[in-house]
Amino acid sequence: MTDPGAIAVGDEIPAFSREGTVHHWNRFAAVNDEFAGHHWDDDVARHEGFPAPFAMAPLLHAYLHAMLRHWAGPSARIAAVAIRLRGPLFKGRRMTSGGRVTALRAEAGETIADLELWMDDDTGARLSTGTATVAFPV
Amino acid sequence: MTWITDEMRGIVGKVMREAISHPIALSDIRKWAMAVYWPEPPPRQYWDEDYAAQFGGIAAPEDFNPFAWTAAMPTPDDPPVSMSAFRESELGVATPDYKAILLTEIRARHGAPMRPGDVIRCIWKITDYMEREGRMGLMLYTTLSQEFTNQRGEWVRTLDSVFARY
Repeated sequence: MTDPGAIAVGDEIPAFSREGTVHHWNRFAAVNDEFAGHHWDDDVARHEGFPAPFAMAPLLHAYLHAMLRHWAGPSARIAAVAIRLRGPLFKGRRMTSGGRVTALRAEAGETIADLELWMDDDTGARLSTGTATVAFPV
Repeated sequence: MTWITDEMRGIVGKVMREAISHPIALSDIRKWAMAVYWPEPPPRQYWDEDYAAQFGGIAAPEDFNPFAWTAAMPTPDDPPVSMSAFRESELGVATPDYKAILLTEIRARHGAPMRPGDVIRCIWKITDYMEREGRMGLMLYTTLSQEFTNQRGEWVRTLDSVFARY
């Protein structure tokens, strides 16, 4: 759990990483009712012009929330998370996301941290960029 | 050449869809967290009621979707309004004749937590059209905004999804 008093602008938060496999994506498909063929079927993905099936965008968005939750701890409030998708997480690749604190302020009894976020795959390709706001009770 | 017609501009900000969730089940929250955090166990606050009591009880991960699979409204036997993410024809306006649609951006702002028993109402609106030249020619970017509120009328989430069509 992060001590909000110890956070400083420029701090990097612990990375969050997941394999890009249908074992991961099937579980998310099952809870989000999200079964488009290009997320699991090689032939469908190729037919749509992709080299391989790729992860669902809402799952990548959820991964950023998970990274923030791991860093911030159970009592923090994740107030905003934005992701701009630049490239797919393809099957067989591994994604790693990270973040850096860009601003800190006190507001209505909370310490508010703004962050910039990113997500890369194991080839070094940048999959997404984003921003987040996390509020810590004081 | 432009994708954006006066008719399309006329539906910006109008309610396109509305849905009301079933009461959120504790099991839905647990399963969502298990799926997102797999293969590691999710944080205890998402599955252990005794532990979560110190934080006001179990609340869903902020990214939780209370409308997966089925809703109280529309019901499972209501005809689907669209086989795509959205279509302008849901508001009586011609849908652009596009070849492909891609989700390019998700922006979420979170308010009141979603807890077991909560009933979530959601409305969908197109809130912006924008065009830009891309690799596939002139791309039409459409922002689809969802506003979530709970049974007490508290704001829960605003979710903006930006789709590119070409």
